[in-house]
Amino acid sequence: MALLEAIGIGKTYPGGVVANDGVNLTIERGEVHAVVGENGAGKSTLMKILFGIEQPNAGRLVLDGKDVRFARPREAIDSGIGMVFQHFSLVPSFSVYENVVMGSEPRSGIRFDRKKAIAEVQALSDKFKLHVDPLPPVGALPVGQQQRVEILKALYRDARILILDEPTAVLAPQEVQELFVAIRSLVAQGHTVIFIAHKLPEVLEISDTITVMRQGRTVGQVRSKDVTEDSLAAMMVGREVVLRVDRKPTDQSQRVAEVRGLRVVNARGTEVVQGIDLTVHAGETVGLVGVEGNGQAETLEAIAGLRAITAGTIALSGEPITGMSVLDRRSRGLASIPEDRIARGLAPGATVAENLVATRLDEPRFVRSGLLDLKAIRLSAEKLIERFSIRVGGPNYEVATLSGGNMQKVVVARELSEQPKLLLVNQPTRGVDLGATQFIWRTITDARDEGAAVLLSSADLHELLALSDRLMVFYHGEIVAAFTNTPDLTPETLGTYMLGLARQTPEDMKGALK
Amino acid sequence: MSGNVPTIDENSRWAAFRREVGRALGAAIMALIVAFIVVLFTSKTPLDAMMQLLTAPASKPRTIGLWIDDAAKLTVTGLAFSLVFQARQFAMGVQGQVYIGAIATSYVVLGPLGSTWAAIPLGLTAAMLAGAIYGFLPGIAKARLGANEIVSSLMLNYIAIELCNLLMRTDLPKASAGVLTSVDFPKEAVFPPLIPNTRLDLGIGLAIIAVVVVWFALYRTAWGLKLRLVGHNAKFAEYAGIRPTFIMVSAMAASGALGGLLGAMFVQGQTYGKLTVLFEGGIAFEGILVAIVARSRPLAVPIVALAYGYLRQGAQLMNIRTDVPAEVIGVVTAIIILLVSSSFSLNFITRLFRRRDRATSVPAGSVVK
Repeated sequence: MALLEAIGIGKTYPGGVVANDGVNLTIERGEVHAVVGENGAGKSTLMKILFGIEQPNAGRLVLDGKDVRFARPREAIDSGIGMVFQHFSLVPSFSVYENVVMGSEPRSGIRFDRKKAIAEVQALSDKFKLHVDPLPPVGALPVGQQQRVEILKALYRDARILILDEPTAVLAPQEVQELFVAIRSLVAQGHTVIFIAHKLPEVLEISDTITVMRQGRTVGQVRSKDVTEDSLAAMMVGREVVLRVDRKPTDQSQRVAEVRGLRVVNARGTEVVQGIDLTVHAGETVGLVGVEGNGQAETLEAIAGLRAITAGTIALSGEPITGMSVLDRRSRGLASIPEDRIARGLAPGATVAENLVATRLDEPRFVRSGLLDLKAIRLSAEKLIERFSIRVGGPNYEVATLSGGNMQKVVVARELSEQPKLLLVNQPTRGVDLGATQFIWRTITDARDEGAAVLLSSADLHELLALSDRLMVFYHGEIVAAFTNTPDLTPETLGTYMLGLARQTPEDMKGALK
Repeated sequence: MSGNVPTIDENSRWAAFRREVGRALGAAIMALIVAFIVVLFTSKTPLDAMMQLLTAPASKPRTIGLWIDDAAKLTVTGLAFSLVFQARQFAMGVQGQVYIGAIATSYVVLGPLGSTWAAIPLGLTAAMLAGAIYGFLPGIAKARLGANEIVSSLMLNYIAIELCNLLMRTDLPKASAGVLTSVDFPKEAVFPPLIPNTRLDLGIGLAIIAVVVVWFALYRTAWGLKLRLVGHNAKFAEYAGIRPTFIMVSAMAASGALGGLLGAMFVQGQTYGKLTVLFEGGIAFEGILVAIVARSRPLAVPIVALAYGYLRQGAQLMNIRTDVPAEVIGVVTAIIILLVSSSFSLNFITRLFRRRDRATSVPAGSVVK
């Protein structure tokens, strides 16, 4: 008999988003069960239902052969289910043991028995190989240890089934291995672990059984030893995924963007961009390589007009734009996909249609004598939703109700609804699933093929190597190396320059600077 | 689920609407229950006091007039606050704008044009202009100097109140020495009553027009969309090419014009028909409550204003006719604000009931069939 079963779970959110549609999940006693799927596949919703945070509209839960229903997390905890979220719920100023026992403190009389609490936490931590010192404040610990505190919290409340929501997303590789040791020790002692993830190598390493979800449905349940990374990826996306895009040969004779001697000082008075020269041609993608915080983001913001510069010039198609407003730059063909879609790229509380039209409020198509043409705005939004296959109930839904990948598609749709002359892109696929990544790569490359000059910054070297014609390596606000992208160029080569271990001479760079 | 009902789009909008209405009503009912408990402890005749609170405003044409007049004024101040709140600016200057608007009106209608047909339109225009300038000041101070709009607008309120006081003692023609009241405005300058012997006057019409204008400005003009986008996320607005400072300052100025209009509604209305010190009686600030409960939606503002105006009027009548002080309404107001602005939801109540059902039917641990 299965330990925990979810049968025909359905969940539709008030925004009309169908998150779960007939989902089935069977968890056996003492296994590590991974639930995989792209962002927005409905994994998190399913877990929230198992943990009593959300109520399903349809279906039932069976625990130990009995139907159960959890109206709130407390009831799930009482039935032996524990959950560790991606975002921890810990009190940073409290010590480890205080965080673990909080709400179920051991008492002597009416007093909080601290000695007993410390001993119990220590015992738990030893038993399950979740090594963490019970005494220091949680805020002083690295993320990996904070996660252990979260797991201890669940175990302290006698969780037999532990749900871990993308536990590896926040961890460094060594910490991942330590987490896996703990998971194995948990399972060896009779616990059951449900593991949400979308990094497939990890999933294959740690889990016994895998349930694959796609678009709110379960696609299937497989034994880990029977599948490969590729077959799993294909199940997740529903087709074979090829994460590569072909760039067409283009005419790259025309200079579109010219940056000369650019200097930018940040709010703390540090010069973060120290005299950068850059040229981007029509039909060309230039990748800005570098560890984050080496001036790439500031360079892009300066070109977009979102950051004051202290020296230098920026020209677009030969015309200086250094002192221009954002709107003037945009009307000259500049588009930009910002680093943080929620902080900068969208107004999450506004509707999809309003977000899509926000950059075009001076165009007579949408605004005449100060009045909005609501019909034109809606029609244009519907077209863009269709063209960029944004998964949303309609143009009047709030952007906040969309998944990360779909939010990013709204940004991309707005910026690329018309062919730009110069496209600035920063971290286009951060936190975006495979399917949407493929789509966004294709869309950016299409803009390049049509003659846009593209400046791309990304923390993902594979993304840079997949999309760029030339690559500039940033280190401490300077360009220390420049390459023409060839199949021989490897992440390792770039890494040497990114970390400041080497630096090209001006002569070496010349060839790739054009 | 099935296809013959309205689209999900409409459904979700209705659901959101019902949720908000339910939330406001739930808050009001809970606040009234608490108010009743307070009255129980403070009054010798608690039932009578509660009856006064709940029924007195609707009992006579005269009290209905008082109620509607209050509601009209609450509507305008609620709109003024909604406008700045939607731009996520916390300007608190409506009170000052009311005084400045009233002073401007008084100078116009006590001047040579005051006894002509132009007195009302000119008075209103002067009040709105003066209010707009007064609202513009904290806006421009924030945009240019980074001055916090909450502090500067509150300070400007005191300046306006004391300016009114000063002018009343010095410059303005008084009815009689020692009285801090101006001479009556010429009858051409006073809003005609809609129903004789009540306070119902042109002010109601102005309030209705203001609702429509603010709604239109916010939801049908590019300025309104920009304003709302700035309110949702100012960094996004900047990135999209909208100038947040311009929007911010213009929102505060537009809100100021509404504040000025309210000033004119006070002194040109049937209630006064003249300028006096401290005429506004603190009603301007209650626009904050109206705007919060209405979630800054202009079309919801008059409905909230009517409901809140009723309670406010009931409290005053209760104060006059029973031994309960009007301050009880402060308790009601505080609870309503607390419940509406916190994440209070009716789930809390339904959950209470659900738990009780379960307790009687199925044992805890909840095996459901």
